[in-house]
Amino acid sequence: MRSERARHNKIIFSGTVGAGKSTAIAALSDIPPVCTEAVASDETAALKKTTTVAMDYGLLNLPDGEKVMLYGTPGQERFSFMWEILSEGGIGLVLLINNANVDPLKDLENYLAAFKKFIASTAVTIGVTHMDRAQEPGLDAYRKKLAELGHDPLPAVFRADARNREDVATLVKALLYTLNPGLVDA
Amino acid sequence: MSRHTTLPGPHLTALYLLHAGSMDVRLISLSVERHWKHAVRLVPTLDEARVVLVDCDRPGVEAAFEQLGPYPSAGIVCYAFHPKDHALRFPNRLILGKPLNLDALPGILAKAANDTAAIKATVTARRQVPAPVPTPPMAAVETPSSLGHGLHMDEERDLCGAMDDIPLTPGTPLSEKLFFAPDQYLIGHLSRAVEQAVASGRPHVISGLPHLIGVQPQPLPVCVTAFRGNQLRPFSMTQLPHATARIVSALIFSESVGTETVYAAEDFLWNIAAWAARGRLPVGTDPYQRVRLKAWPNFTQAFLSPHALRIAALWTRTWASPVEIATQLAIPHRYVFSVFSSAHFSGLLDRNAPTVAPIAVIPVAAHPSPSPKQEQRPSILSRILRKLLNAV
Repeated sequence: MRSERARHNKIIFSGTVGAGKSTAIAALSDIPPVCTEAVASDETAALKKTTTVAMDYGLLNLPDGEKVMLYGTPGQERFSFMWEILSEGGIGLVLLINNANVDPLKDLENYLAAFKKFIASTAVTIGVTHMDRAQEPGLDAYRKKLAELGHDPLPAVFRADARNREDVATLVKALLYTLNPGLVDA
Repeated sequence: MSRHTTLPGPHLTALYLLHAGSMDVRLISLSVERHWKHAVRLVPTLDEARVVLVDCDRPGVEAAFEQLGPYPSAGIVCYAFHPKDHALRFPNRLILGKPLNLDALPGILAKAANDTAAIKATVTARRQVPAPVPTPPMAAVETPSSLGHGLHMDEERDLCGAMDDIPLTPGTPLSEKLFFAPDQYLIGHLSRAVEQAVASGRPHVISGLPHLIGVQPQPLPVCVTAFRGNQLRPFSMTQLPHATARIVSALIFSESVGTETVYAAEDFLWNIAAWAARGRLPVGTDPYQRVRLKAWPNFTQAFLSPHALRIAALWTRTWASPVEIATQLAIPHRYVFSVFSSAHFSGLLDRNAPTVAPIAVIPVAAHPSPSPKQEQRPSILSRILRKLLNAV
């Protein structure tokens, strides 16, 4: 496992189409996020009008002038080749799952499999979005699924509104504490 | 950190509630009836009052203050959600933060009443000599540091109390103050209602409170109530008279007035338990028994007591007693007790530790000594954390 210093200052946001990755980055970023949204032309069009075709990029400016990059991966699985490239050297993964999708637990499984190597060397927190539209599966179902997939201890799974800066920040804070529970704010 | 005690004594503090909402009147009346009988007496008129408690958040508070003009000998204690804001409007008033710290309040009321009486005596004496009499500022009255304007400490105390740490190893008898009886609080009733609803598969309702609390067991357990968040917290912190709440089975729980809020039962139980516990443990808990959190609570909805994220991060990965968790994180025990109590009631606590509990080897509070250069430059994780803590 690489030391903190060897890592890039980069937090990865990934997840299903329409889960709110771009929105979450926009909620947290100190700059207007750089998005590569395009008019959706494939099956994504049924879910939303535009979608991320390359990546989203936001920035957290730290008080000492250092920057933390917030990278959002494209949601479509045909872009999955980019996921590994984008996540290389990242601090950890915030995974957003759209609960209103047909089979969000399967989505969870697929994304965890895709990021398995990255998660093994870092950490993941999971934000379940759109629970106002689709209450089921509940958080307990996600936890059970994670246990079935062999995640012990279970990563943090929160209900999240990607538009809400506090929700997104809580996901990132949980990620940081997962990496080091002894962390204190500097 | 100082601890507040109810001032005993032969003289009851005659308290008049001025401009307080019906919910506050009810809660304070319950507290007087159950706990402050020997310290506080509610009086029906201003004429009889030695001290007046005023809610600054309600519209028309200025007019309420005008009513106090003819009663200069009555002490005045105000309370508000944002005391600092009101301190600008009412610069010479003692303003406590909401929710009121019910343990400390009788002492504060008595002090305000006595101080005002003393001031009046001084003023009366000075009036006998021709000298200008400066009005002593009420804000200068010494107040407990955790109340009034000290919002941070105030909130911390309300959430987690002020209990000292307990011994690191068992053997010493523990103070009764370490524990709370859930049945005396809303959490006891709520916990039973959820259990019964889930077991029977039928909705249950807690009645007898200012608002109903419904529990729907399916498809996912939820709690439905017209209690607003700012009402729930003080209500959860208050001991309820024995026969106040009743749990009844219902065929359906209809949303009658359309102002109800729906909460996931787990989140609701977590919050109500945290507010009742205030850094204590449910009676019967062994603080030295190793347990584990089954999962992280839903911290976007569940109440975040101090250090709760750190505690959850550590306690989901290791079997440890509350005392061990506090020791590893180098934090006061009461913060861990708060999380324990919430986890207990929300079903997130796993008590079935393996016979030989794995020894946690986790780098938490015990960091290696950094070099001077490292000391000047905290880790990137710490710096991101600080950014997020400051930003949200």
